[in-house]
Amino acid sequence: MFKRHKSLASERKRALLSQRATRFILKDDMRNFHFLSKLVLSAGPLRPTPAVKHSKTTHFEIEIFDAQTRKQICILDKVTQSSTIHDVKQKFHKACPKWYPSRVGLQLECGGPFLKDYITIQSIAASSIVTLYATDLGQQVSWTTVFLAEYTGPLLIYLLFYLRIPCIYDGKESARRLRHPVVHLACFCHCIHYIRYLLETLFVHKVSAGHTPLKNLIMSCAFYWGFTSWIAYYINHPLYTPPSFGNRQITVSAINFLICEAGNHFINVMLSHPNHTGNNACFPSPNYNPFTWMFFLVSCPNYTYEIGSWISFTVMTQTLPVGIFTLLMSIQMSLWAQKKHKIYLRKFNSYIHRKSAMIPFIL
Amino acid sequence: MAAVAATAAAKGNGGGGGRAGAGDASGTRKKKGPGPLATAYLVIYNVVMTAGWLVIAVGLVRAYLAKGSYHSLYYSIEKPLKFFQTGALLEILHCAIGIVPSSVVLTSFQVMSRVFLIWAVTHSVKEVQSEDSVLLFVIAWTITEIIRYSFYTFSLLNHLPYLIKWARYTLFIVLYPMGVSGELLTIYAALPFVRQAGLYSISLPNKYNFSFDYYAFLILIMISYIPIFPQLYFHMIHQRRKILSHTEEHKKFE
Repeated sequence: MFKRHKSLASERKRALLSQRATRFILKDDMRNFHFLSKLVLSAGPLRPTPAVKHSKTTHFEIEIFDAQTRKQICILDKVTQSSTIHDVKQKFHKACPKWYPSRVGLQLECGGPFLKDYITIQSIAASSIVTLYATDLGQQVSWTTVFLAEYTGPLLIYLLFYLRIPCIYDGKESARRLRHPVVHLACFCHCIHYIRYLLETLFVHKVSAGHTPLKNLIMSCAFYWGFTSWIAYYINHPLYTPPSFGNRQITVSAINFLICEAGNHFINVMLSHPNHTGNNACFPSPNYNPFTWMFFLVSCPNYTYEIGSWISFTVMTQTLPVGIFTLLMSIQMSLWAQKKHKIYLRKFNSYIHRKSAMIPFIL
Repeated sequence: MAAVAATAAAKGNGGGGGRAGAGDASGTRKKKGPGPLATAYLVIYNVVMTAGWLVIAVGLVRAYLAKGSYHSLYYSIEKPLKFFQTGALLEILHCAIGIVPSSVVLTSFQVMSRVFLIWAVTHSVKEVQSEDSVLLFVIAWTITEIIRYSFYTFSLLNHLPYLIKWARYTLFIVLYPMGVSGELLTIYAALPFVRQAGLYSISLPNKYNFSFDYYAFLILIMISYIPIFPQLYFHMIHQRRKILSHTEEHKKFE
């Protein structure tokens, strides 16, 4: 339900090395590195110039008010112009310990938008005295916690239904009707999907340091766990009816499912590369891996593959609840994809000319 | 689960054709809102609906006088009731288009819940049509809708009589619990027949691998009244205090 926030890291390199990448890959990576280092070197000299012109560093004084009571909470002094909102929150916490950094929402004016952590004081300051309003955002959880909870639930819940424990299904009926082979296959595919998600959350994705309210965690888990229960109930039911077109339908769907899972994985690995995360990300482009060639057609191939997986799972199991879940996921992801697509259009107009957001040539 | 109060609350500002605080209809100038064509259409729609519910009201009275008893009055107003209640679906369209500034989701919920009760319960389970509980919600709906639609009509015309505004924000106190009681009792009366006939239910095995138990669904709906009714009712009470007292202050100021 929630987009992942990614930040810079060097996991990509370690992954490559641990996989004993070929020399070709290493060369390609080294070439990228050289290009990046050249870019950094060429950009370097530009940085000191503005400081030199202005001749000395400016310090800011920040007044923090309670957004609710309008009373002044404290004043932070000697804040440098390069400090970020994140730094301000840390200072604020030191001055007033009961305000936790992750729970503080800072605004320039009451009712205005909350300032992002990466924004610098220099960019928002109108004078040497800055006024900010603080709001308590309530209980917060890290994004990693959200994702781990979201994906562990479906994995375990599905297995509960797969085991056909007596309190869910009628014992006699369960004993009399053995599981159809596609039920085992569906369980296998479902587990692959969520295990991959969990592993990627732990080892691939670069989740930002941001947080989200506890309420979002609860709602998101309710959605995923609820739908998993519904889906699992019918697929593992003693009275489950196999797909109409038999083994052919099952086999084709399963193969397509695995292809989409692999595609999703490789795209996620690519997106977590340092060049493609954070605020200065450049547009990802296809490389030697065939699964990344989807970037030629769409801006967000991770969503394309994700939807592909669920469509395949729907066809493989021929279960209406899975179809409904797939539809809802498709709608949600198309919204995310279009939003991301617009951002790309604004940033890299020439790169993605005539590309679509998620579905090639259509959407 | 027709949310009469919510309908009233949600459309409280809608009837004013986009102006904030419909209660200020008389004398307030339009700054922003639907164009003259949309306004004309809305006036016609609201007039037709007012007339429609009046037809139902008159039908009830005449049938009562003719029969000398209030039992089984449903049959005498069945067709117009279905027609005009279903016609309310247009209000979802009005919200979606934007000529009425109410929430599409909230309006959909309210209209659909009533349409559901009419068609999926009362129409589908013939046995409950002779129940007195049907009369309970029909009367509550009829009075509420006559007031509501005439409220919108006069608001759109910038000439809202105080009596109608007062009725709009006062009579719900009795009508809303009355309507809800009728709805719940009707659904309750329908349960045995639904279960017996397996009405609208799908069972396994089937090729869609999906099942649906209408009996359990109706029970869930009844249970959902518990958290929903108090919220809507007290919201309307709050709305009443705000709007009617605002009028009082307005008078004092003058």
